[in-house]
Amino acid sequence: MNGKKRNTLSAWVCNIPALAFAGSIVVFPIIYTAYISLTNMNVYHWFDFAVIGFKNYISALSVVDSGFLRALGLTVLWTALNMILQLVIAFVMASLLNIEKLRPRKVYKTLLMFPWAMPGYVSILLWKNGMFNPQFGLLNQWLSGWGSEPVRWLAGDVLAFICCLVVNLWLALPFMIMIMDGALQSVDKSYYENAMLDGAGWFTRQIRLTVPAITPIIAPAVVITLFTTFKQFDVIYLLTQQVGAKTGANIHTVLTYAYENAFVTNNYGFSSAVSIIIFLLLISFALLSKIRRPGNEKNI
Amino acid sequence: MRRIYERAGLILLNIFFIAICFAVLIPILYAVSVSLNGRNSIFGSDFSFIPKTFTLENYRAVIFGQPVLLWLGNTIILAVSSVCISLLAAVPGAYSLSRLRYRGRKTILSGLLMLHSFPAILSMFAIYKLLSPMGLINTKLGLILIYIGTMAIFGLLNLKGYFDSIPIEIEEAARIDGANGRRTIVSVLLPLAKPAIIVTGVMVLIYVWNEYIYAITFMTGESNYTLAAGLYSLQATEMSGSWPIFAAASVVVSLPILIIFFAAQKHMVSGLTAGGVKG
Repeated sequence: MNGKKRNTLSAWVCNIPALAFAGSIVVFPIIYTAYISLTNMNVYHWFDFAVIGFKNYISALSVVDSGFLRALGLTVLWTALNMILQLVIAFVMASLLNIEKLRPRKVYKTLLMFPWAMPGYVSILLWKNGMFNPQFGLLNQWLSGWGSEPVRWLAGDVLAFICCLVVNLWLALPFMIMIMDGALQSVDKSYYENAMLDGAGWFTRQIRLTVPAITPIIAPAVVITLFTTFKQFDVIYLLTQQVGAKTGANIHTVLTYAYENAFVTNNYGFSSAVSIIIFLLLISFALLSKIRRPGNEKNI
Repeated sequence: MRRIYERAGLILLNIFFIAICFAVLIPILYAVSVSLNGRNSIFGSDFSFIPKTFTLENYRAVIFGQPVLLWLGNTIILAVSSVCISLLAAVPGAYSLSRLRYRGRKTILSGLLMLHSFPAILSMFAIYKLLSPMGLINTKLGLILIYIGTMAIFGLLNLKGYFDSIPIEIEEAARIDGANGRRTIVSVLLPLAKPAIIVTGVMVLIYVWNEYIYAITFMTGESNYTLAAGLYSLQATEMSGSWPIFAAASVVVSLPILIIFFAAQKHMVSGLTAGGVKG
């Protein structure tokens, strides 16, 4: 008994440094955020704020034009579009890369990895300043070369949303293509020969054989990507919402919306309430995705 | 006849991939080319991807005209201390979570998994409000604390997953051969876990190198910036013609990360997939 207690003690001692860092920078600030969310703290009430109960939550969730529900809807749309496009494009690209007689496959794969290897914020800023810039951006140079009027790519809501989508696909597809590629290589080729003998066409073979075979392999990566897409901040913030350099498009995901309310309009209590709602949503997604995949438990 | 079709299809496929690779690389190629172009003919429509008059003038302007070397120094201080401290903290923790069985272990693990989904931006204001009375705003120590704390969960989970994949029999064999507990860990387990330790360190390094939002919010004054915050502040506005310099700065900032990424790539797959979490 005494030895067991000593083991427990030394195991905890091993954990203390890392847990202390995580506790002071992650856990305690979350608790503090939850507390701020119950107050009216803002730039006028920096020290003399008062607890106002759940008012911030009510105005975030019930007032339609507060902006949060719109941001949440847009985030869901953003995540859905991104996931569908990523899965379809990555599947097609990986299938083409796996065509047997394609020799320079490795060269193509390495080149396609570049958007993943580049620092993300640098790429996004290069897209913003190099491609989309209304005056000297490459896209408008091409347009003027063909005699068209220049376009303000990041000014209108819909166009800016599409631009953000393109940049995010550019950033995220290499990872998805690599995952799909690995999954496709693990599919047993003999299945296809049988199916071909049975007279199944290319499309039928993909739907009936390939998709079910790779689904369990790509599932963890897809769940991870789902979370990172929902939590995407850099693309939308850096392209359209930079403090002091807004492009005029009013598009927000939940994260840029929370940031805007904390550091631009200085509505700290409201922003904290939004943060807590997002955190609760993420936790419930995480629990759901774990229930759906019981095989995951062996990790713990 | 069929072989001709096959050859033609293959040629078409290669053309398709060359076109796709080129299209994907356009933003990067364009920046590289602008940064090397002597005449600033960026307003002309006669632009080509191969610079017409080659020059390193923009790079000289970046390295000597901007405080880039200072920012590089700041970034290296932050990155090295964050990587060292987080590995020193995470390796023993991950080891105990993987190998020892004790009360509270499962609670810690499910807590870590839950917190792993929390985006650091959401508690930024609370962290600001907590650090400012301690005088840690606008100091390197404050940023190092934030970076270590943010990556501690990833480090613990990633390393723990990798330790799990090392068979415990290896340790038992070492023990039977007479090695004591510490010796087993230092000369048997740690060498085996090298890929995961390297990848975890590289992920922390890349995170610190690329992190700009905390750096610009918590640090004021150009001399305190990291490379990421500095590059952010260098951005070409719509009016200024500083875009070639910005392009050169982007290349300078990206090169070390590209080199590290492709050098660690060999370890990247085994070191990341075993842990089951992607930073």
